[in-house]
Amino acid sequence: MDALKLYDDGHQWYVFGRDPEKPEKIIDTNQFLIVDGDRSILLDPGGIEVFSTMLASVLKYVDIDQVTDLFASHQDPDIISSLGMWDQILPKATLHASWLWEGFIRHFGMDNIAYHGIPDTGERLSLNNVDLEFIPAHYLHSSGNFHVYDPKSKILFSGDIGAALEPPGMPMFVDDFDSHVEKMRYFHERWMPSNKAKRHWLERVRKLDIEIMAPQHGRLFKGDDVNKFLDWFEQLEVGVATA
Amino acid sequence: MFDDSSHIAAQTAAAATISGHLYRASMIAKRMALAAKNSRAMVLRAGSKAAGLKVISDYFDELAGKTISLSHIINQSAISISQNSVRQWRTQSFLHNLSKSSTRIDQSKTDQLKPAMKVGENNLNDLADILQGELSSLNDQLLDIRQYMQSSNVVAVTFRLEATQTGEFQPLLESMANSIDGLSNEIKNHITFSQNQLAQLKVS
Repeated sequence: MDALKLYDDGHQWYVFGRDPEKPEKIIDTNQFLIVDGDRSILLDPGGIEVFSTMLASVLKYVDIDQVTDLFASHQDPDIISSLGMWDQILPKATLHASWLWEGFIRHFGMDNIAYHGIPDTGERLSLNNVDLEFIPAHYLHSSGNFHVYDPKSKILFSGDIGAALEPPGMPMFVDDFDSHVEKMRYFHERWMPSNKAKRHWLERVRKLDIEIMAPQHGRLFKGDDVNKFLDWFEQLEVGVATA
Repeated sequence: MFDDSSHIAAQTAAAATISGHLYRASMIAKRMALAAKNSRAMVLRAGSKAAGLKVISDYFDELAGKTISLSHIINQSAISISQNSVRQWRTQSFLHNLSKSSTRIDQSKTDQLKPAMKVGENNLNDLADILQGELSSLNDQLLDIRQYMQSSNVVAVTFRLEATQTGEFQPLLESMANSIDGLSNEIKNHITFSQNQLAQLKVS
């Protein structure tokens, strides 16, 4: 699994993805690790199929005791079906996810990890030196959905927003926004059900100072491409891709 | 130990299968209890002609009640075995994944996985010990219920014999005896199936 350091100034952001050992038919995912001294959080740690690779990748950068928190943007299997495994290796960790999904996510197996339900309005999580913001993104696509914004690194983890469906091995960053658009269109038209939710999210996110927008599938957006994406998403009619 | 996930998958499936069969046996036991109540009513209606049947009928009623109680307990045991198997399966999968991770990282990092590996292995051993106890207990309970059903078959034979003394009630009481016999055999079939599955679990 490829790993790339996205930020390193007091605390670190890593992205893991492009796993060549992943079974062919499962969708490629990006997993993120934020390290802040002796505390670290894994964002959307992934499905059970990528657990062993993810664990080995994470341990290249932190000790196991440093992984204190997990975050799940929503309840889907590619996001958090590895929970039953993390539960046994990180028994003292806390999982942060929408309050809405607790009873559902526990189906993945959770005997040890503590569940912290994020209220609908969002909230902050202080690690050591960094305060992360859980930004509401409800109905994009899940009815209880959050993104993570780090005001220091100016990175927005945007869950399924910005996702693209591409063949394996694509680069980590968007290099030509115009040609990238077609790789995102169907995903957003189909998986995002609500134009109203989209407008609320855009209103909220346009107030943030974003250097990198990092979705859970596909490529990351950097610099001007972030605003290009927001403009493109704004004009896109969503919830319309069914026959 | 934790490489053999197909064994635990088979064990989980077998335990769930036993649980399903014992549930069906408990449903038949309920029908048996109803048959016992009917037989008592019939014996009362037959009056002095069926005096010899009253004791048998009471015994059958008691047997049906005990069968229902025991089948509930057995069903709970089978569910517990099934749950234990799922826990073993999950723990084994965890250990397997941990082992895969270990091959991809430095020795210093591998040491960090050892405590979790140890806990997982201990859990797996504890679960295996508990399972052995549960399997043994379930085996005893299945033997008990098999004995009940053998007694029930004897009740049916005696019932049929005594029914010949009851004149116009004979056809009804014979039919009742057949029903007792048939239900007992149905339960015995489920018990036999469960015992065979259980024997395979113990062997594997």
